[in-house]
Amino acid sequence: MSQSLRPYLTAVRYSLEAALTLSNFSSQEVERHNRPEVEVSNSSAELLLQPMHISRNENEQVLIETSVNSIRVNIMVKQSDEIEQILVHKFTRFLEQRAEAFYILRRTPIKGYSISFLITNKHTESMKTDKLVDFIIEFMEEVDKEISEMKLFLNARARFVAEAYLGEFVY
Amino acid sequence: MSDWRRIDIDAYDPESGRLNREDLIPSYPNQITLQDLQPTISQLRSFANSGDINSAIQLATSDVPYNTDEQTKLQYVYAVLEVLVQVRQADVINIIKGLNSQQQDSLAKFLYKGMSMPEGQKNGGILLSWFEKLTQVAGVTPIVHYLSDRRTV
Repeated sequence: MSQSLRPYLTAVRYSLEAALTLSNFSSQEVERHNRPEVEVSNSSAELLLQPMHISRNENEQVLIETSVNSIRVNIMVKQSDEIEQILVHKFTRFLEQRAEAFYILRRTPIKGYSISFLITNKHTESMKTDKLVDFIIEFMEEVDKEISEMKLFLNARARFVAEAYLGEFVY
Repeated sequence: MSDWRRIDIDAYDPESGRLNREDLIPSYPNQITLQDLQPTISQLRSFANSGDINSAIQLATSDVPYNTDEQTKLQYVYAVLEVLVQVRQADVINIIKGLNSQQQDSLAKFLYKGMSMPEGQKNGGILLSWFEKLTQVAGVTPIVHYLSDRRTV
C-alpha cells in the first residue's frame, strides 16, 4: 500500500466508526413512517449532524453525511484521464444496477461523486458494524486496483487490434 | 386558494417544536469582527514564518472564533491552514501530544474544514497525516465531538 493511501484509509475508517452509531428513529413529519433522515429534505435541522469531508487530493475524496438514523458515504474514485472516467462510470453503473445484492449500495451517486452508500440503522442492527466499515475500506482499496487493471488491459487490447488492423496495409 | 390541502400548517404553529439551522447555532453575547481577529491572524503568520509551529497550533486551537460570520471564519481557517501545511512530519505527533482535549477537538474541526476546501485539498496528504497522528493520540473522541458540535469553524 502506498505511503499516502494509508492515512487516507485510516481517516475514513475512524470517521466511519464515529459516524456509525445509529439508532431507530421514527419520522417526525409523517406518522408511522421510518425513513433515512439523511435522504429526505426535512425541516428539522437537529436530526442532521456535521458532514465530514476527507480528501487525499482534488480527485480522491470521501464525503460522509451523517444523521440520527442513517449515514451516506459518497466516494469520488480517482479519474486522471478520459479512459478512467469512462471505466469508472461503467464500473459503478454495473454495481449500482445490482444494488439489491449489496444491501448498502445506493442506486445513484450524489452529484459530483462516483458511488454512494447508504447505511441505515436497519443495516447496523442486522450486520456487524466493524465489518461494514471493513467492507467500505476494502472497496476503496480494490476499486483503484480494478480500474488501473482494466485500463492496462484496455490499452493492451487496443494496441493488438490496431496492429492487426494496420497490418493489412503493410506490403 | 385551490391547493389549501398542501399548506404546511405546522410551519405556522410556534409550538410545533421544529428547529432550523439558525436555531441550532449557540447564541453569543457579542460578535467578533475581522478587525478584532486580525492581531491573532498576523501572530499566526509570524509564528509560521519563524517555523514555530508548536506555538502557532497552541494559539490557533486555544481561542477559536465561533461567534463571528462565515467570511471572518474563512479568513481564520486560511491562516490556520498555512500553519498546518508548513509542519515537519516528525514534529506532528509531539505537537498533538502537547494539546489538551479541547484543543484536539478544535484541531479536528480545522482538519475537516480544510479538507472540504480546494485550498486544503491541494495539501490533502499533509492534512491526512495530521489526522492520522490525531487519531493515534486521541482515538475516535475528537471525531465524535466534531460530529455533534454545532460550533463550527
